Amino acid sequence: MSAWRKLFRSEDSKQDLDEEIASHLAMAAADRRSRGVDADRANAEVMHEFGNVALVKDVTREAWGWAWIERLQQDFRYALRQIRRSPGFATAVIGTLALGIAATAAMFTVVDHVLLQPLPFKSSSRMVHIELAGFAADSYSGAPYLDIAAWREQMQSLESIAFFGLGINGRSFLQHDNSAMQVEFTRVSANLFPTLGVSPQLGAGLPDRPEEFARTADTNDVVLSDAAWRTVFGADRNILGKTVHINDEPYTVVGIMPRGFFFPDRPESPQAWAPITLGALDRGRTFDTPNYEVIGKLRPGVNMAAALAELKTVQARVSQGYVDPEWRKRSAQVTMKKYSDTLVGVDKRRALMALTSASGLLWLIACVNATNLLLARASARAREMAVRGALGASCRRLVQQLIVEGVILSGLAALIGAGLAIAAVALFHHTLQRQLSISVPAVPNVTVIIALAALTIVSAILSSAWPALLAARSPIEPALRQGGLQGGVSRAQHRTRGGLVIAEIAMSLALLAACGLLLRTIYALRHVPLGFRTDHIIVANLEIPTYRVAKTNATTSIYEPLLERVQHLPGIDAAGLVTEVPLGQTFTMKLALDRKDETSGGKSNPITVSFKAVSPTLQRVFAFPILRGRYFTEHDTAAADPVVVVNRAFANAFSPDEQDPGKIIGKRLLMMVKDGKQATVVGVLEDFHQSSVGTPSQPEIEASIPQITPDSGFYTVLEGIAMDLAVRTRRKPSEVIPELRAALKQASPELAGSNFSTMDQIVEDSYGSQMLAARLLETFAGSALLLCVAGLYGLLAYVVSQRTREMGVRFALGAARSDVVWLVMRQAGTLVISGVAIGLALAYLAGKLVRSYLYGVSPHDGWTLAAVALVLIAAGAVAAYLPALRAADIDPVEALRAE
Amino acid sequence: MAKEVYQNRVELLQGTLDLLILETLRWGSQHDYGISQAIRVRSGERLQVETGSLYPALHRLERQKWVKSQWSLTGQNQRAKFYELTKTGREQLARDRSRWETMVGAIAGVLGPIPEPES
Repeated sequence: MSAWRKLFRSEDSKQDLDEEIASHLAMAAADRRSRGVDADRANAEVMHEFGNVALVKDVTREAWGWAWIERLQQDFRYALRQIRRSPGFATAVIGTLALGIAATAAMFTVVDHVLLQPLPFKSSSRMVHIELAGFAADSYSGAPYLDIAAWREQMQSLESIAFFGLGINGRSFLQHDNSAMQVEFTRVSANLFPTLGVSPQLGAGLPDRPEEFARTADTNDVVLSDAAWRTVFGADRNILGKTVHINDEPYTVVGIMPRGFFFPDRPESPQAWAPITLGALDRGRTFDTPNYEVIGKLRPGVNMAAALAELKTVQARVSQGYVDPEWRKRSAQVTMKKYSDTLVGVDKRRALMALTSASGLLWLIACVNATNLLLARASARAREMAVRGALGASCRRLVQQLIVEGVILSGLAALIGAGLAIAAVALFHHTLQRQLSISVPAVPNVTVIIALAALTIVSAILSSAWPALLAARSPIEPALRQGGLQGGVSRAQHRTRGGLVIAEIAMSLALLAACGLLLRTIYALRHVPLGFRTDHIIVANLEIPTYRVAKTNATTSIYEPLLERVQHLPGIDAAGLVTEVPLGQTFTMKLALDRKDETSGGKSNPITVSFKAVSPTLQRVFAFPILRGRYFTEHDTAAADPVVVVNRAFANAFSPDEQDPGKIIGKRLLMMVKDGKQATVVGVLEDFHQSSVGTPSQPEIEASIPQITPDSGFYTVLEGIAMDLAVRTRRKPSEVIPELRAALKQASPELAGSNFSTMDQIVEDSYGSQMLAARLLETFAGSALLLCVAGLYGLLAYVVSQRTREMGVRFALGAARSDVVWLVMRQAGTLVISGVAIGLALAYLAGKLVRSYLYGVSPHDGWTLAAVALVLIAAGAVAAYLPALRAADIDPVEALRAE
Repeated sequence: MAKEVYQNRVELLQGTLDLLILETLRWGSQHDYGISQAIRVRSGERLQVETGSLYPALHRLERQKWVKSQWSLTGQNQRAKFYELTKTGREQLARDRSRWETMVGAIAGVLGPIPEPES
């Protein structure tokens, strides 16, 4: 029989071997009988000659080569039996490991989704993002076409360069039948998709004529994303060549991109792409020249530093083409970043890394705890191991069996942990969505499952290999001796377990410290005066159909009627419109305002300011404190002089030498309309927080909506992209919101789908990442503390049970109960104090990691560290209490009785 | 302890035991008891194969596909498992024999002629 068949019919093979040996014995006996030996003696001699039948069978079966599988099966079954026999122990280990694995798996799911998932283009690691860094401080600055063309010709390190529309130029709506769906509409160069290495799943896509480099691409072609195709057109295969309308303009569909493709960023709505038309404005480098975002593909084998160096040299030449000497200098500054890095900000990445380390720490603590439990168990089973060894089990066999037990325990823990992780992710779904703008899928993907399996195996190895080795290597004789149970754990093992508990305590301290720091941050944030009222305000975030706004005067056709209607609803105290409510984090327009500095000899030194459009009624909703001057009134119409209101931060930035911010009133700032009058400052507001509670107030200019007419250059951006409706009302939101929605729908049908929220909720959400981190750390730190207490308790209880005899002797010799209690507490104390000492060092490091989250508290805050240390010492005292009591209750007579 | 001894003995004879078994089977199929008897007889009672080595060796040879086995009846109406050489077994036997002879020749060359006893 071949070996494989033997494997599957192992019983048959064994029987076969038995028969073979039996026939051998029979034949040998027959032989002897034929020589005249009598039957009984023949049998005896034959048996003697044969040797140890069982051993021969064993060795032969070894030779078959798959005895190890059988042994594994045996170990497996035995392990299950052991687990069933001591359910308490098994639950403790499984629970501990499940906690650690759940935390790490949940964090990994998030990290995988945000950081590790590859971009949907080929060789995404070679994609770089190039920008001119010298112009605006913190916002994107693309490059004009002439620069891009120059780079294309002169750069050797880049295989190809493509470009696409800069920033948001308004909301776009894809119109079909009678509905309009918001899409992310990006204009791209014709060679973008080939540069990315992606072709449409349907159709030819944008025509790529490399020799012309996007010069004459047909304007009216469009490529849709898979999501757009499916949602709007129901995956109609005849879509190619059909005309669709985007923003009221007709486009011909020439391609559908594959599912899962996105560009430039992860989509919140379906995407569509159309080619850029280069026009007369692209021929120069003036103020009106459109800027594009540039993405390039490095040649294989070229590293980014070399490419950047080449780019800088090339740009030094190219920047000579700028007319304005100031621009010439600024345009020479270029930066290059990996494209994948631009999608996830450095802060976010650091935050995720910090949280992952925290969860990793929790997992380590869980493993340490499990190891401790398994060590205790192993020493309890020392006798069993000794008997096995005496019966002939090899060291390897013992270790194998204990590791199988460990693997089963951690396998079960992993299953439970996975379930907990999924639950946790679902729980944090809303916060994650808001903070990291990701929607984590409920079912983990393959990467996560593989990571989970790896975690399990590593946990098993960490927790059980070591106790297994210790148990297998321990000498047999002492364990078998009578009284071996109290024979004492070896000094080394005791020190090891103590060391493990100290490590646990140290790591828990670090987690608790980080948690404490974050809680203090939240407290500090909550008590920052915001600079405006937040109570009883309902906010609607409107999605403005930009194309419609461009054709009419939105002020008269949409906004003023809307305000009228809303103000006349019952129970509304005040209503106002603003491009973005403070802390809204939806949309801000940033402007680089030149100010001719008298002191620096007329050189322009731009400051970045936020620019918002507001309705005069807004003041009644938010009650911004006015420092000087006035707010907008109904008299500030399109016919009157253009006026603006600024905040204190702006006044300080504009005239840094001026002490009195009020002096800015009366200054003329900017032109609202080309060739029109310059707007005058009429009021200065106190500072208030715009982007987040933790960031100081930024310079801001506000203009009145009625004064922003369609001929203003700012019209499209300020009124045509986003607008928030803020309503002050004492009524309940659930009652008011449907009425507001009806009013919105009347103003313009697309507005009916807007999101509603309250100002309090928006403020809550703006704490965002700190809140998320704080909540997560609370969970981690709390679990770590529990595990610590359990670990310490386990160790002390074990020690006391081991030393009952010794305690009995002490009592007999006259020790008081309190002395014995003190003995136990002292032992606990040494462990806790050493743990806390090491933990403080770890906490120092932990503080450094979460530094970017903190607000209003230093990463090495003494109060927090002291408080946390006290918490741990108290926890240690609690853990030691019961074992100490038990030690005190030992009856000396019982303890000293012979065993 | 006992198991250690067995392993040692299997180690010593492993190569040559296979050779002996294959050679014994050259003359026809034989059952395991017969094989051990044949080796004992033909070596002039000098080589006594332990069953603890024989069985593993036989099963190992079968796994290598150099012998194949079949249950059959002996002359005395005893049911026994008969082993016989396969074609590859024959080739292996030839290889083993030549290797053995090479080794014997080499050792003999080193040892030189048998020294004359001192008289």
